[in-house]
Amino acid sequence: MTDIRALGIDVGSTTVKIVGVDAAGNLAWHLLEPAEPRVEDQVTRLLDIADREKSSDAKIPLVATGYGRGLVLQATRRVTEITCHARGVYRELRHGGTLVDIGGQDSKVIAIDPQGDVLDFAMNDKCAAGTGRFIENTARRMHVPLEQMGPVALATTAEVLISSTCTVFAESEVISLVAHGAAVEAILRGLHRSLIKRIVAMIRTVGLVSPLMLSGGVAQNPAIRKMLEEETGAPVILPQHPQLMGAYGAALMGL
Amino acid sequence: MSTLALPRRSEIIRAHQAHGGRIAAVLPIHYPRALLRAFDILPVEVWGPPRIDPSPGAAHLQPYVCSLVRNALAFLLAGELDVADVVIVPHTCDSLQGFASILVDFIQPKQPVLPIYLPRGNRPSDLEFLANEFRALYRALAAITHCTPADAELLASNAREEHADDLLAELHRRRNELAMTQLELYRLIRSREYLPAEMFIEIVGATLHGYSAQGDHPGSPRQNVPIILSGIVPEPMVIFDALAEMRAVVIADDLASCGRRLYPRGTSADPFVRMAERILNAPPDSTRGGAIPERLEHLARLVATTNAKGIVFYDVKFCEPELFYLPTLRQGLQARHIPSTVIEFDLNDAFSQQARTRVEAFIEMLG
Repeated sequence: MTDIRALGIDVGSTTVKIVGVDAAGNLAWHLLEPAEPRVEDQVTRLLDIADREKSSDAKIPLVATGYGRGLVLQATRRVTEITCHARGVYRELRHGGTLVDIGGQDSKVIAIDPQGDVLDFAMNDKCAAGTGRFIENTARRMHVPLEQMGPVALATTAEVLISSTCTVFAESEVISLVAHGAAVEAILRGLHRSLIKRIVAMIRTVGLVSPLMLSGGVAQNPAIRKMLEEETGAPVILPQHPQLMGAYGAALMGL
Repeated sequence: MSTLALPRRSEIIRAHQAHGGRIAAVLPIHYPRALLRAFDILPVEVWGPPRIDPSPGAAHLQPYVCSLVRNALAFLLAGELDVADVVIVPHTCDSLQGFASILVDFIQPKQPVLPIYLPRGNRPSDLEFLANEFRALYRALAAITHCTPADAELLASNAREEHADDLLAELHRRRNELAMTQLELYRLIRSREYLPAEMFIEIVGATLHGYSAQGDHPGSPRQNVPIILSGIVPEPMVIFDALAEMRAVVIADDLASCGRRLYPRGTSADPFVRMAERILNAPPDSTRGGAIPERLEHLARLVATTNAKGIVFYDVKFCEPELFYLPTLRQGLQARHIPSTVIEFDLNDAFSQQARTRVEAFIEMLG
């Protein structure tokens, strides 16, 4: 049993995250699952689990975020993932800066002021390039487990140039490179570089204000962090649970 | 809340034809309504339309031509413009110019196709050029209708359109007093695209006098985040309902189909010059070559006079005149601490979740 005073749920394209916070706003409890097609059923089930977890029977606020936030019928409030990620990261790291959130379906660069408010943002929501889907697609094609994509890419210094920014064309390009005998590690390194270059272009549109922070599921990939540092020349800071920052920020907004 | 019922396009077209009038299908954006009406031709504008099968049009056009032009061509090929006696195509952009060429050279519809060339500036030579364009259009319409309206008739028609546009401007100005939703307001504003001026005057006049609200109402800027909507055309119009759900209100607009067509009165006694003056003195528009400093100044003035908190650029994908200058325009706004965001849409798309998130995050940021 946990002292939970507010819940935040982030219904993302790849995973669903639910976070409970205590009265002081500390992350007290969380669950993370792959997203199911029947969002309402999954949300109801997760809320039942949360209900059993909390120490009091009192009704507590539930704030929904993520692309499926509109389907969380039980929500007392719905807030976009941009505001929620900013709130969650600011609360944990205690400073503003430039936050990069690379999700499964889109990516965002968010400028956060010293008070924790969103100053500006840029989103890539039109195609899979620059998102987790870009890496997932290639992982499947190369038969490399998703969690190994970063370590494999960092296992070499050789790098193949991937010139296509479109995920579909990049996949064709990868197939062509494999056919020409390029090493898998070098291809994956080049692929990560391609993704990071798109993210850096977005950072430029918003303007880089240090420190650079990273959240979202893709933040767990070590190659992303390293290459982002290489390309921007700025150190990259990660919160303890980068994937939970949206749900955490949502829960904080419920307090 | 308003229950204003507007006549449908088809009803208006049938009524106009029933008394012997002709119909012109007019492509966006700027054209001399008064000139057409002097020939008893009712202009009915073709902004796509949205949500139709665009494939017949796509077969004739490059993939990077915008959905507005693609849909218009598909609409024409499907016979939906057969009701028109003439098709008018202003040279708004290269895509519409190409559209006119395709019609004239290859498709050859049953109606005459009349292009209008618009100058990209507001110098005395531009005024002279545009007035001459309208004189040429007069001659073409005279050949089609066998009518030759006198200058007095042209000026009378001009006066009627000026009256209608005065009321349109008042509708824009007094939008916050009206107890109607944003969607209803923009349906009324956009009824100028097909209603005869005299009917528009009657409906808007009654609205302005009859629907004044006391205190706050659902669209009140005091309860919502006031924003400016810029771009070409607000389609799909569900964007207004989406904005209302996000507690945002369009306090003024810089839309080519709406606020950029608040034509001031002309001054010349020459009817053709007067018509040209009105278009050239309208708010700056990318499709008429409005310079970036001029557009920037206009947007900053709109923000200052309305207390808008930011600007949403809501643009048709592949709209070259709009998108080409947008990065520089936004840089200028940023330098003036005016937040902005950009949403691109296709006329055949629903208002996507991605677009919704982008606008909603922007509103949260402003709020």
